[in-house]
Formats: sequence, C-alpha cells, structure tokens
Amino acid sequence: MMNSLTIKIKRYDGEKTWYQSYILPYEKGRTILWSLTTIRETLDSTLVYTSACQHGICGSCAIKVNGKSFLACQTPLDKVIETFQTTELIYEPLANFTVIRDLAVAWEPKMAKMKKIKPWLIPTEEGSEEKGFLQSNEDFHKIASSTDCILCGICASECNQLHVNESNFLEPFIWNRAYRYAVDSRDKSPEAHVGPAYENELWKCLHCMACVTNCPKHIDLTEEISSLRKMSIRMGETKNQGARHAFAFFNDVKNNGHLNEMMLPIKTDGVIKTAATKLPFALRMIKTGKINPLERPKKVDGIEGVQKIYDYAEEVENK
Amino acid sequence: MKKYDVVVVGAGGAGMQAALNAAKGSKLSVVVLSKIFPTRSHTGAAQGGINAALGYRDRTDSIEKHFKDTVKGSDFLADQDAVHFFCENMPKIISELDYIGVPFSRDVNGHVAQRPFGGASSPRTCYSADKTGHAILHALYEQCLKNDVIFLDDWFLLSLSVDNGIFEGLVAMNMREGKIEAIQARAVVIATGGFGRVFWSRTTNAINMTGDGTAACFNAGIPLKDPEFVQFHPTGLASTGVLLSEACRGEGGYLLNKEGERFMERYAPGKMELAPRDLVARSIETEIKEGRGFGEGMKSYVLMDLRHLGAEKIMERLPHVRELALNFEGVDLVNELVPIRPSCHYMMGGIHVTDFQTLATPVDGIHAVGECCSVSIHGANRLGGNSVADVVLFGKFAGIGARQTAERRDFAPTGKLEEELKRWREEFGRMRAKKSGIKFFEIRDRMAETMWYNVGIFRTETEMAQALKTIDAAIEAYKDVYIGDSSEKYNMAFINYVEVGNLLKLAKAVALGALNRKESRGSHARADYPKRDDQHFLAHTLVYYDGGNYRLEYAPVKITTYQPEERKY
Amino acid sequence: MTTFRYGFFPGCTLESAEKELKMSTLKVAEALEIELIELKGWTCCGASHIQDIDELVGTSINARNIALGEALHVDKIITVCNTCTLMLRQSKKKLDERKELRDKVNEGLSRANLKYKGTTEVTHLLWALIEDYGLENLKKKVVRPLTGLKVANFYGCHILMPPKIMGFENPANPQSMEMIVDVLGAENVPFSQRLACCGFHAVFPAEKEVNRLTQMNCLSPKEAGADCLVTPCPLCQMQLDAYQPGAQKGFDKDIQIPVLHLPQLIGLALGISPKELGIKRHIVDALPMLRARALV
Repeated sequence: MMNSLTIKIKRYDGEKTWYQSYILPYEKGRTILWSLTTIRETLDSTLVYTSACQHGICGSCAIKVNGKSFLACQTPLDKVIETFQTTELIYEPLANFTVIRDLAVAWEPKMAKMKKIKPWLIPTEEGSEEKGFLQSNEDFHKIASSTDCILCGICASECNQLHVNESNFLEPFIWNRAYRYAVDSRDKSPEAHVGPAYENELWKCLHCMACVTNCPKHIDLTEEISSLRKMSIRMGETKNQGARHAFAFFNDVKNNGHLNEMMLPIKTDGVIKTAATKLPFALRMIKTGKINPLERPKKVDGIEGVQKIYDYAEEVENK
Repeated sequence: MKKYDVVVVGAGGAGMQAALNAAKGSKLSVVVLSKIFPTRSHTGAAQGGINAALGYRDRTDSIEKHFKDTVKGSDFLADQDAVHFFCENMPKIISELDYIGVPFSRDVNGHVAQRPFGGASSPRTCYSADKTGHAILHALYEQCLKNDVIFLDDWFLLSLSVDNGIFEGLVAMNMREGKIEAIQARAVVIATGGFGRVFWSRTTNAINMTGDGTAACFNAGIPLKDPEFVQFHPTGLASTGVLLSEACRGEGGYLLNKEGERFMERYAPGKMELAPRDLVARSIETEIKEGRGFGEGMKSYVLMDLRHLGAEKIMERLPHVRELALNFEGVDLVNELVPIRPSCHYMMGGIHVTDFQTLATPVDGIHAVGECCSVSIHGANRLGGNSVADVVLFGKFAGIGARQTAERRDFAPTGKLEEELKRWREEFGRMRAKKSGIKFFEIRDRMAETMWYNVGIFRTETEMAQALKTIDAAIEAYKDVYIGDSSEKYNMAFINYVEVGNLLKLAKAVALGALNRKESRGSHARADYPKRDDQHFLAHTLVYYDGGNYRLEYAPVKITTYQPEERKY
Repeated sequence: MTTFRYGFFPGCTLESAEKELKMSTLKVAEALEIELIELKGWTCCGASHIQDIDELVGTSINARNIALGEALHVDKIITVCNTCTLMLRQSKKKLDERKELRDKVNEGLSRANLKYKGTTEVTHLLWALIEDYGLENLKKKVVRPLTGLKVANFYGCHILMPPKIMGFENPANPQSMEMIVDVLGAENVPFSQRLACCGFHAVFPAEKEVNRLTQMNCLSPKEAGADCLVTPCPLCQMQLDAYQPGAQKGFDKDIQIPVLHLPQLIGLALGISPKELGIKRHIVDALPMLRARALV
C-alpha cells in the first residue's frame, strides 16, 4: 500500500541548478499536474511550472518524469508509478529546450526555427478572402491529424537526433507543420515548405520513432517525415546521402532481394568520399571477416516475382 | 520607456486578430503582450464550432435567423444593432479563416461543414471536428509569424494609466526578468479573456482566466457591463469540470437522469437537448435538486448518452471529446455513459464597450474585445458557437478601430503612468520582502466556494448577501497576503497574487450585479424572482469602481427589431 | 514438451556483416529445440528506408515476406532484428487494418503467385523466449550461469517503438532484456543510455551526430561498470561495435566496450562455445573480457 510519493524536482533560478525533494500524500486517480499544483500550493510557492487549460489542448504543461516526457495534466500518477515501478519520481524540464526557471521553458527560439518552413498557407488562386475554398472531405482528412499538434514540445524533448544535434535539425513538430501545409490542397506551393525542410537536415532523422511514440495527439510524425522525403525527391533532391542511401536499398531489393552491404557506402557517398572516409572502417570489417569484398549477394528465390511487384507498384504510382 | 503606437494585451483569437488588423496597411508599431505563450490561450479550448449563416447545410438559414436566434438566446438583453452587425459579417469571416488555412471539416460539396447547436434554428455551426478553437488559434498564430507580429511573451499587464479620462499607457511586468516597465501607447486593445476563475475549480476555464485586463479597465474607471451573467456549461465532466463540447448534444447526445428518462422533455419539449445552455444547465441542476440525479452533494451528476451515434460518427466528429472522457473520467463514450454536471464556462459581462464597430470603450484610446468585454451581443446568455465567432470577428474590428485611434491620437503625457510604475515597483518589492501573512491560495478558495454556492446557477437574496460578506472579508484579508517567493525572476507567486486580487475585485462586481437584478433572465436565475421583469430590468448593468467604491447604474438596451417575448424552446 | 516452430526471417545483415548472429541464433535454437524454418526467397524488409522512396513497395515486399511465412503454416514468423520486426509488423498492421490497401497489395502479389492472408504473426526472439518458450524453460537449459558478468542491455528503438505496432512492453521502461539476463545468471547494470538510439539508420547523412551517440552509448555503460553491452538488434550491434573505433578517435574518454548479440549471450549460458557463436567476429574483441570473467 502506497502512502506517499517522493517527488524530486530539478530547480533552476536563472543561475544555479539543484534538485529538491517533496513528499506528498498518495491519492488515487491524481495526475502529474495535481502533484505540481499541490506542491506549489501547500509546500513551496516558489516552484515554477507552466499550465493553462488542464485538459490537454493548450500544450503548456509537458515535463519529463523519470527521463520520459509527459503532458502533466492528462497523465495519471498511477500510470507513471506503474511504468517506473517506483513512488520516487524525478521531474525535470523538457529536454532540448532553453529553461527559464524550474520547469518552464522558452518557446521563442523554436518559433524562430519554425518560421523557416513557412508555417502558413500559401493560397492557390482557387480560393479568395471573399469566398474561401472548396476542399474535399478526403483532402481535409490529409491535414486533420497533423493540425492536432498543440506545440507541447514532447516530440522535441524525446528526439534522439536533437539530443546530439548542434546545427539545424528541425523539431518534429516543425516537420509536422511543413507536412501539414505541403499536403494542404489549398496550398499552391508545397515546395516552399518542403524545400526548407529538406535544407534543414530532413535526412538526419534517425527513424527512432520516439516522437511518434510519445506524441499525446498520436500524430504519425515519422510517416510525415517519410512523406516529406518523398516530396523532396519528387522535387529533384536526389543527390544527397539520405536519398542515395534509400535508393540503394530500393534498388538492391529489386535487383537481388537482399542488400549489398559491401556496396552501400559507395552507393551512398560515391567512390571518392568512401575511399577517403570509410577506408579504415572497411579494412577493420574485412579483417574480422565481417565483410568479404569478393562476396556478392545471390539473387533470392523468386526475384522475378519481387520485380513484378515493383512493376505493379510503379503502375499504381503512375496511374 | 517603451513606446508603441498600438499595444494589444492578450494573444488569443481576439488579440491576434486585433494585432494582424491593426498592423495591416499601416506603418504603426504594434506589439502583443501576453502572460503566456500565444498558442496556450483559451481560444484553443473552444471545441464545437463557430456560427455563421452560410446556409451550406440548410439553405433556409439566413443572417436574419442567426440574428433572431442570438437575440432570443440572449433573453433580449443583447444590443440588436451589434448583433446584426455580428451576424451579417460572420459569413465573410469564415471565408477569411478558410483562406488563411484553418482546417475546417467539410461537407460533401467541399464547403465548410456545419452542425446543429443549442438555441440555433438552423445548423450553422462551422467546425473543425471538435477542436475548432484550437484550429483557429494556431492558424492565426501562424499568420502572426508570417506577418512578423512582435510578441512580448511572458509579459503581465498590471494596470492601465488613465489620468482624468486621458489614456497614457500601461504598466506591465516582464516576468522572465522580473522587471516592471511602463509602456506608452496611442491605443491599447484589451483582449485578455474571461474571468471564470472566480469559481476557481468549478469552471471549464483555463487556470489563467483571471480577468486581468477587465480588472485593469475597471480600476481605470471603465465600468463593467452585465457582470452578473455567468454561463454555466451544461456538460462539464462530473469529477473535474472539464468541458465536453456542445457538439455532443449537437450531434444527437441524450441527457438521462437516474430514472433513465430524457428529462429535457420536461423543460424544452421542442428542442430537447438542443435547448440553449442556460436552460439545459438549470434543468440538470433541477433534476439533481429533486433527487433524480446520481451521487450526492458536490459529487452529483446526470448522464450523457452518445452510444447510439456509433463508433464511426464519434471518431469522426467527436474524437477529442472521446479522449477527454477517457483521460479525465475514465469512460469510453463509444460504449459507456458519461457523468456530467454544469460548470462555469463563460462571462457574458465585461468591459463596457460603447462602439461595436471599433470596440471602443468610454476612455479614448482603450479598446476591448472578446470575453473580457461586453459589446453586448450575448446579453444574458450566449449561444454555443458564438464566442469564437465573437473573438475573430470583433478582434478584426478592434484591430481596425485601434489603428484608426492610433492614427488620430497622439501620445499622452506620462505623469500618472510614471506614478503607476513607481507604485507597482514598490508593490513588487514589498511582496518579495513580506515574510508572513495569509496565503493567497486560501483567499482564492474562500472566494470560489462562496461564488459557487451562493452566486451559482440558482441565486437568492440571502445567499448572495452572504457571498458579498465573504468576498468583502476576503478583500480585507488580501491586504495581508504573503506570496512566499522572494525571487525577482519569473516570480509566478507574485503574478498569481495579482491575479487573485483581480478575481476578488471582479467577483464582487458579479455578486453586486446579481443581487441588484431582481429578476430571472438568461443565465441569471433568481429563485426569489423567477420571472423576467422587462419593466425594470430590460437594461444593462454598469458597475463602476471609483475610489474603492462600487456603484451601479443601468443603461438602455438597443432594440431595433425584436421586442422581448417569452423565451420558449 | 511443446514443439516450438517458427518461420525464420533472418534479414540482410545476417547474410553478410552479422553472420555471427545467424550462427548464434541457429545454435541457440538448436540447443533449445526450437525449430526455425527459413523463409524461402525472403527479401530485405526495407530497413526503414524503402518507404522514403515508395511506401507501396515497402508494404508490398513485406506482404510478400509474410506470405512466404504463411505458406509454411506456422503461427509466427520470428526475427532477431529490431528493424526487421518493426518493418514486418508495420506492414502487417497496415494490411490488416486497411482492406483497400490489402486488396491493392494483393493484386501486386498475385503477379508473383502469392497472397497475403494475415494468418501469421511476427515476433522477435526476445519476445518469443518470454511469451512462447518461457523463462522457466530457458532457465532449465542454462548449464553455465553467467555469474559475475555485468551486462548493460541496449534495447534499441525498434523493438519498443512505436508501441501501437510493437506493443510487447512499455517503451518507457521495458524489462524483457533484464528478465532474460537474470535467467542467464548475469547481472543487469543500469545505465543512462539504456533506451537511447544507436543512430544506425542515419549513419551516413548524420555521421557526426551518430558518432556522438556512439560515444555516449559506449561510455555510459562503461562508466556504470558494465563488462559488455548486449543488444537484441544486429543494427545496434553493428553501430556500437563496428563504428566504435571511429567514435573513439578524437574522443578523450576511453569508450572501449565489447558488444554482444543477445543470442550470443544466451548461447554462452547454454554452454555453446564462443567459436560456434562467432564471438570472434566482432571489431571489439569480447574474448579477453569473457576470459577474465572465467566464462570461456
């Protein structure tokens, strides 16, 4: 039987950082936000966090609990306790954000980044301020999920690329905005959104699925990133490592069924770059027998069938 | 001293519309000041939709019908010239929102989809599933990004400086730095939202809906119009008060009592569950009072049944509502009944706006728009789907109005402004240094409790007199509050302290307005005066605050077309 | 005892750089009397890349792979790769939930005289050992408990996420690896990068960042006192092992740590020789450490 919770909060006052522990009585059916409010109103009114609507639509209250990000207002403490099998909880501000004080983070730098992908409609000539647009229900559904984003920052906090990225990689919620406008039937210039997405390290997404896993609005962020990549390829952006790498898989499967690992670096980076950068790596691999430069993958049984499936997909695509 | 031509306070739907339109085609410097990041604003919580007589779903719908429904819904307290202006401009506003990319749900012809809503004689509520406010708020924010609107995020309005009727500017705190500054302005647009938090935990409102702008205007001598009219939304979740959209009833949800009856038959045999909010909320409370509800006391409730809509329709039209019921009540409304109870939702009253085309107030230079003000188009009861409509439409005209004001009006001297600045800096210093006293949370809870029990859905003279006493005592106690945080930077305790002060000031106006209105009209239901009294109270309440005293006056209602008649549904 | 029979989907790396994983998987299966029937004519799963070119191709090739398994009349297809598991399950989920897509894909498959029916599940060896084989049974087969071996479990992303497709355990705090390691008699070492991403899928376009990840992913268990990393995914293994010397270059802290495949660790406890498990085929040699722990 649980009687109490120990909540350790990462504090920051603009200069120093420390962890402070609070003990709260356990009450069934409470949320993370309840614990923050209770600490603030009964134990320590210096604690700072952000919260507004309290029902999962304003996106203010995301924090990290025991290393994972949650929307505080709609996450039951019981769920957190069950997940981590402990009543000792550690609250920290979202990762990959600038902290203002305690659990409050700054959004302005993120919005400056978001502007790059032009997160607004570039209207086609079919619409007007006077008449609006016609849009089919099917086309509305293309943007229905992506417009659910509440800018809570959880995807960014969980993003494995952002943890190590020191350049321009965009937050998943920004990919989402680029996608949302690029696929809107009312937008005349998808490339105005996809182009900057491409230029800001679109192919650096690690495919780790942390964003889609943790999104409280269940937005399929990784599928959206994949779609942005397809759109960038259609725009002609094929001469980059990411696209070449993906094409290598695509073509190897079609030709042989299996991947030709030996040729992958060359297909991705080209001979010259591979020779310059991957040589020590390759030699190590050869030495331990991990790769055999003389070995070529055999075509799989039924490769003709695979090729027919490719042909079919191409026909569907062209239809 | 900072100096801007136009300062917009509040970055919700109304504030952002105002900022976009104030800057449009002008060289004016425009800034939006907000105590929270713009997309956190409460416009985003609007679920069900936005009304416009586009006639896509029902060709017989018209501006005249929207007009009539709104006037009738207001229990004839709305100003009919303003309502007409509102209804006739709404269709174009929807097109404008469509044109900036708001993701509206669509009908089979590709038009913006419309659904039935309470108190509406035709299905005219446009929507984006059940996240309409969210969709609009984000689209407006993105337009602000596009147009390089300057935001001062985490800036908190402390007061407006008005010297002998001359508006000078405002005093605000840069919360992150803990610096209080004066800002000189030619025009200001107050768009700070409602103050439902006078009921603290018994409201669907966000935690920051504390009426800061309304209180600042009130302090500056601008009266509050009709503050006693508080809308209780019929379908708050029983245990948390979280709002379940009116779209639930719009899409065909039933309300059931303990006997399993669709009890709305007793109160509105014609419109049933689709009667307006005030009527449905009172019906639910009557059922509970008369022993036909579930549970006891504060935990009483009735049930809403959506199961007959089927999973597919629920997922298509009410996905957010379903999630809310799952997350906050543990109920899947696809196959379970949802416990619901009315919850304070909306303030019809607010800053006295005197010109519905410019949203001007009695003080030249100060404009007000959205829930913080009263135009009044909602009168004694607002119709569902008319509030997001209100903010986007009047936000636009407030922006245009403020632009015109700023182009015409020069900066005023700053004598009083500097005094105000000094006063607030001292106050901040004093509160940071104060080491003992009463916690403001306690005072806030005392206020909320008395407001819920004594100035709630049914009101009586004795109870409201009691409420006034309690509020007066709380106002007295507030003088000895301590905040428990001596920090300079991001001192939320100080902000909350000021917010509670604002709430107290406004709560008293609500109670006074209610006590003096000896009739029942719209949301204001007096058990001791159950009838509407047009002879004495077909008038707007105006509450003034001068020198710490509250004074009430009444102003005529503009009636252009519809004479008051009995309101039947 | 029940017989355990699976359609085996090895995945590309098992045919080339990670041959030792195929060796060790087959050896372990044999020792546990699990029958693995390799799908005849299987192709690459797309490795999370093909969908970036053509989603229909990505789904179709996996529909084909699963159909090959269905033809074997097995309940489940088994893999030993996180990404293969995700790719197959993702396609399966789409095909099972969207009839329109299934019909479209089946039209393509019909040209190869195949049909996706949706009758076979897709699992990973890690899951199968827990939910099919049973930890108790596994424990009975342990002949050389890995006493004293300090193991850092590196899950890799795709065995956990997204849970709507994977769903075996809570990705915020999985326990399956720890349960297996317990049964094998080794000691679990908690470390901060336990649930981190290895970065393998973007090692070319995001070389610098993935290099940084490898530094952190190797340093964290090492500082926590682990003897080795173990992972259920050959791609994580390759990233952490084969790219480790590159990551070490220019990094001032020593990150050297051996990285084992899960079946190798199990194989050791089952008494299978390091040679049969292909332990020598790693870039960072695990044998000195195993010898020091008297496990070989």
